[in-house]
Amino acid sequence: MPSQPLRVAVVCSSNQNRSMEAHNILSKRGFDVRSFGTGTHVKLPGPAPDKPNVYDFKTTYEQMYSDLVRKDKELYTQNGILHMLERNKRIKPRPERFQSCKEQFDLVITCEERVYDQVVEDLNSREQETFQPVHVINVDIQDNHEEATLGAFLICELCQCIQHTDDMENEIDELLQEFEDKSSRPFLHTVCFY
Amino acid sequence: MEDRMASGSGERQHASVASQFFTGAEDAAIDMTTSEKVVDLLNQAALMSTDDKLTALKQVQELIINKDPSLLDNFLDEMIAFQTDKSIEVRKFVIGFIEEACKRDNELLLKLIANLNMLLKDESVNVVKKAILTLTQLYKVALQWLVRSKSVSEMQEACWDMVTHMKEEVLALLDSDNDGVRTHAIKFTESLIITLSPRTPDSDIPKKQEGDISLDRLPKDHSYIRYDVLSEEGKSALEKLLKFMVHPAISSINLTTALGSLATLARQRPMFMSEVVQAYETLHANLPPTLAKSQVSSVRKNLKLHLVSVLRHPSSMDFHSQISTLLLDLGMAQGDIARCVPAAAQPRKRPRHEPYSEGKRIKIEPTLIEDDEDKEEPAPVVVPKPSSTTGTQSAIDLTAEFLLPLLTSENVANLVLISMVYLPEAMPASFQATYTPVESAGTDAQIKHLARLMATQMTAAGLGPGLEQCRARDEEGKEGESEASMEESGSKDPIIIRKVSAVSLGQAISVVGAYKSPTAEETPQAKKLPEPIMPSTQPKAPGSSGRKKVFRLGDVVQPLSDSQLEKLTNMAVKRILQAEKAIARSGMSHVRVKLLARLMTQFEGAMKDDMLHFILEDMRARSDLAFSLLYQEYNQYLSQLPSGSLDSYEHCLFALLSGLQERPEQRDGLFTKLVLEAPLITESALEVIRRYCEDESRVYLGMTTLKELILKRPSRQFQYLHVLLDLSSHEKEKVRSTALTFIKRLYEKDHLREYIEKFALNYMQLLVHPNPPSLLFGVGDDTEVASPWTEETVRQCLYLYLSLLPLNHRLVHELAAVYTEAIADIKRSVLRVIEQPIRGMGMNSPDLLLLVENCPKGAETLVTRCLHILTDKVPPSPDLVERVRDLYHKRVPDVRFLIPVINGLEKKEVIQALPKLIKLNPIVVKEVFNRLLGTQHSEGSSSMSPLTPGELLISLHNIDSTKCDMKSIIKATNLCFGEKNVYTSEVLAVVMQQLMDQNSLPMLFMRTVIQSLTMYPRLGGFVMNILTRLIPKQVWKYPKVWEGFVKCCQRTKPQSYSVLLQLPPAQLASVFERCPEMREPLLQHVRSFTPHQQAHIPSSIIAILEATNRMQEPQPQPESDHAEAVEEREMHLQEVVMPAAQAETPAPTVFAAHEPAPQLGLSRREEEEEPMEEGEADPECLEVADEATTQIKALEAEKGPNDIPQEKAEEPMEQTFTESADASDQPQDGLEDRIAEPEPAAAAADTEISREEEN
Repeated sequence: MPSQPLRVAVVCSSNQNRSMEAHNILSKRGFDVRSFGTGTHVKLPGPAPDKPNVYDFKTTYEQMYSDLVRKDKELYTQNGILHMLERNKRIKPRPERFQSCKEQFDLVITCEERVYDQVVEDLNSREQETFQPVHVINVDIQDNHEEATLGAFLICELCQCIQHTDDMENEIDELLQEFEDKSSRPFLHTVCFY
Repeated sequence: MEDRMASGSGERQHASVASQFFTGAEDAAIDMTTSEKVVDLLNQAALMSTDDKLTALKQVQELIINKDPSLLDNFLDEMIAFQTDKSIEVRKFVIGFIEEACKRDNELLLKLIANLNMLLKDESVNVVKKAILTLTQLYKVALQWLVRSKSVSEMQEACWDMVTHMKEEVLALLDSDNDGVRTHAIKFTESLIITLSPRTPDSDIPKKQEGDISLDRLPKDHSYIRYDVLSEEGKSALEKLLKFMVHPAISSINLTTALGSLATLARQRPMFMSEVVQAYETLHANLPPTLAKSQVSSVRKNLKLHLVSVLRHPSSMDFHSQISTLLLDLGMAQGDIARCVPAAAQPRKRPRHEPYSEGKRIKIEPTLIEDDEDKEEPAPVVVPKPSSTTGTQSAIDLTAEFLLPLLTSENVANLVLISMVYLPEAMPASFQATYTPVESAGTDAQIKHLARLMATQMTAAGLGPGLEQCRARDEEGKEGESEASMEESGSKDPIIIRKVSAVSLGQAISVVGAYKSPTAEETPQAKKLPEPIMPSTQPKAPGSSGRKKVFRLGDVVQPLSDSQLEKLTNMAVKRILQAEKAIARSGMSHVRVKLLARLMTQFEGAMKDDMLHFILEDMRARSDLAFSLLYQEYNQYLSQLPSGSLDSYEHCLFALLSGLQERPEQRDGLFTKLVLEAPLITESALEVIRRYCEDESRVYLGMTTLKELILKRPSRQFQYLHVLLDLSSHEKEKVRSTALTFIKRLYEKDHLREYIEKFALNYMQLLVHPNPPSLLFGVGDDTEVASPWTEETVRQCLYLYLSLLPLNHRLVHELAAVYTEAIADIKRSVLRVIEQPIRGMGMNSPDLLLLVENCPKGAETLVTRCLHILTDKVPPSPDLVERVRDLYHKRVPDVRFLIPVINGLEKKEVIQALPKLIKLNPIVVKEVFNRLLGTQHSEGSSSMSPLTPGELLISLHNIDSTKCDMKSIIKATNLCFGEKNVYTSEVLAVVMQQLMDQNSLPMLFMRTVIQSLTMYPRLGGFVMNILTRLIPKQVWKYPKVWEGFVKCCQRTKPQSYSVLLQLPPAQLASVFERCPEMREPLLQHVRSFTPHQQAHIPSSIIAILEATNRMQEPQPQPESDHAEAVEEREMHLQEVVMPAAQAETPAPTVFAAHEPAPQLGLSRREEEEEPMEEGEADPECLEVADEATTQIKALEAEKGPNDIPQEKAEEPMEQTFTESADASDQPQDGLEDRIAEPEPAAAAADTEISREEEN
């Protein structure tokens, strides 16, 4: 087992639900993990599908929380948004945008294909310097609380397995195949370089 | 880990520890100089745990590189010393330190490059990867450093040589078996190509690499750095990368990496645009079959991304059509594609097409573009395009053009039909992922697209007119270039081509059947480590050799475990075995056979057996293989001759032979062929041959083979002969007799004769042992030696000898010698079995005659038996008679010797021997008579008899009663009478006549007369005449004859009345005394005469006729007694000879009144017993004879009933021996009675033997 813990990034669209759920679990399991969103804004469900609550990435979870409590505490308690924000603010102050982060990771896990595309595109658009590889894996997770929890466990299991390989790069392919079979969902996987 | 979990983010944790340390360190060394701080940190680091050590070292690095670079040199050694740290992370850190240090001070390259080289061979993959990354950076640094140097020192040269060497090693790592290492090697290659190719105006240049060296910045007159060499190295690296990409089993990550690298290359070095686009095209059409479905999606996504990035580059203009086509295939909308075309290019290149790029015309768009570009654009291509690029590029174009008109509906339909055959059973994931229904099928655009796709494939596979033209062009263009590059490209192209074609054709044609499970077995090896537990020492090895190689098998294959190795070997051999038909069709069978034979001799155990089994499954068709294998084994043996073992050869031969032997009969003579063509027949093989011979259904073939071996392999012929000889006493009759037949044939060969003879005699010699030697029971049979001889075992010893005997008569003496020594049981058996051979020898055999002449003591019975056998069917030859006579007179006066040759003796001799002969057992006597009367042999031979039947009967009558008892004589005469066909009434009449004429009447005369009369009643007149003639001879003087006379008269009344009346009165009275009941009828008879006739009868006679009973009383007792005896006897005779004549028998009550005195009665009874006994014995004898007769009658229907007794059946004759042996008065020694148990001599068919033995 490699002596260094993997540097993991979990990325979803708004860095609220799926990536944070996974961030929560992974950090509890001792991973060196960060979470991100790839969207231009942070979007949270609003009173109607066409009326989302939109924030920029500078807004803290705390501020979002207060905002929503103010708007309609009952609604956001009922749909679990407040609970989610509660959890999020315990993890870190505010959502982060992947494209803005210059830290290097070993593994980036995205939660939907669109995010994956954005991550890969971003990584490829950066100027290569060190050629340090980073593996990008997409695990499709529907954007709701239940799926987020399930998905987080799947991501966590995946990360643990990868962490436990002797030679991550050499075994990851096979490992992913196994996971695909086990979870019967396809994983997109690519490698990019810093 | 634990506390990190507690405290939240690991990153934060990390930071806190670091800061803690910093504060701690600063607290402790607040007044220290930087140098002291470094020393302190290094000292601490040496003792710290990995994490802390890393922190400390990072601090040192910071201090000596950034804060005070002057210290760098001082502490370099101390830092580098950590490169042997056991922690991977520490070693990785050292590499990072090397990179930083060298960047800071290029001169350090001189010192540190060797350390990096060491770390490049580290046992940990992660260290190696880090080293590759660092080399990627330092390569550029080193090159720049050298270029900058005005004069290059020797050390610098050495340093650069090492860098070059390391570069080669990393390039070789493209073939590493570690996925990650390969990924890093790809990135290194990418960077290398960029460095070693010129930057052009249209190159994208990342900002941070602005100052990086590249080929165009190299001085062409540098003292050590050679521009052209590096340029070639760059091209070669590109070729390597392109080659790497088309590997059919490339992993998805490697492929992704390579795709990215190509995109980078295309953007930064647009001169390679065509190669890149072509590689993309080829890849898109030939996605590795080993990719899983999701991997295909990932790769396609990547491809799309990179294509777009390439498309965005202004220099991709010329390739927009290809790229657009690919992007369309990858599912990108035309509009999106259009948006990616750089704004600068759009207005310039495609103004006319603007109106078309929207709406429904989308599908046709690319072809329009393509058309445009093909026609308009070839000239203004970007300047520094190497000729080879143009060549290959246009190869696809040319081929596409060539194909286009050929794609008629008919041709396409045919292509579809043909390729149906090669479709895999399951849809490959790559296909499934990429398949989209062709909407525009049949349109010109689609046909052009198709032509281009096909052209891409064909070019990749090295086919098509375009490629040929380009090659021709290239050759011309390249002629001036260096040989090395020629060779290189020449040697590489075919490899690429082969690989591609293996992918595209792999489905249809498997190389020696290996196709079975390419994905299952091959993929994991090339794609990733097959064994996840692999220790990290493994991946380092490949880099060590460092030589430049096109493809190093050793790097991509794992050492197989023994069991795997064996399994694979087995499978490979099996495939070769099973490829029989396919190879036969190709006419290369002989190569396969040779290959298998060679292979097989190198393997032991199961595989060999498998192969032998395979051969035996169809030996006829695979005999080539069998022989080839056999010879190869033998060759192997010869090649290691002094110490070599035959085991392997022997096993092979043995397996083949036994296989054939155990298989159902094959008539193709393969067994024989194998035996005769085998270079050497080993013991075990001989054993199989023997078994083959023992198989009744194949015995002939087997022995023919054996015979051939004996005749054609003189060096060991006796060994083979021995087997055959052994089989001659085999328990199976068929085996035995066949073996004997073959031996007899071989016996004719002079050089084998002695051996065979010796064997036969040795075997026969065994008979002198009191018990059969264990040899006879076969080896391993633990029958105790003490078991007695049996008929079987005796025969076993004799089969061979006896079959040789007729061929070599001299051997008979050996038999006699053994015979005399053998025990009685054996003698008996011998006598039984010699019949056939002795008969075969014939009575003219000098050796047989010699045997008779010498007749060794103890061999009398043998000689007798021989004589019997010889004369059984044929009259004896004078020679034989002479020897027997000689023997009889001079040495062994046993009359029985004479019997077989009796017909060869003179009349006098016969008569002389007669008394002795008839004293023998009745059955023997009967045989003698048969011989004498000619009833034994077939007709015609009877003339040989020295005595006529009449003479015989007369001789019997004349036997001196002192020489022989009456009982025997009577028996003998009865035998004569039994031969009714010989003793006809005429013969008997002559006999009677002659006896009458003798001086004295033989005692049995009247008996014979009566018997004749009984047999032939028509002799009545003759008998009357005899009776009448006896009267003058005073017949009453011969008491016995007289008795008979009376009896005869009594029986022949009334004809005898006239005879009686001629008797003198006293004799007449005597008659009446004997038979008083005759008187009255006779009286009546006389009274019935005419008076005239009565007058002729003397009164004395009349008186006697009329006399009373009183007159009888004076008659002497004995005479009366005698008369009774005669009568009694006659009665029995009647019973015997003609039982139907009972009616004539006088009432016995008449005699009852005259019961004799007790003592006389005794004597009388004694006499009486003779006929009784005779009467009992005879019917038995006759009965048996009759039985035999009827049998023979059935057989020889043509013979008249009169001839019946002429041919004697064997059985009764044999009984002669038995009974004669029983007779107590035989003078012979105890052996005599051993001549027992009948054996049919006529036909020695073994079936009869067995039947008889059952009886």
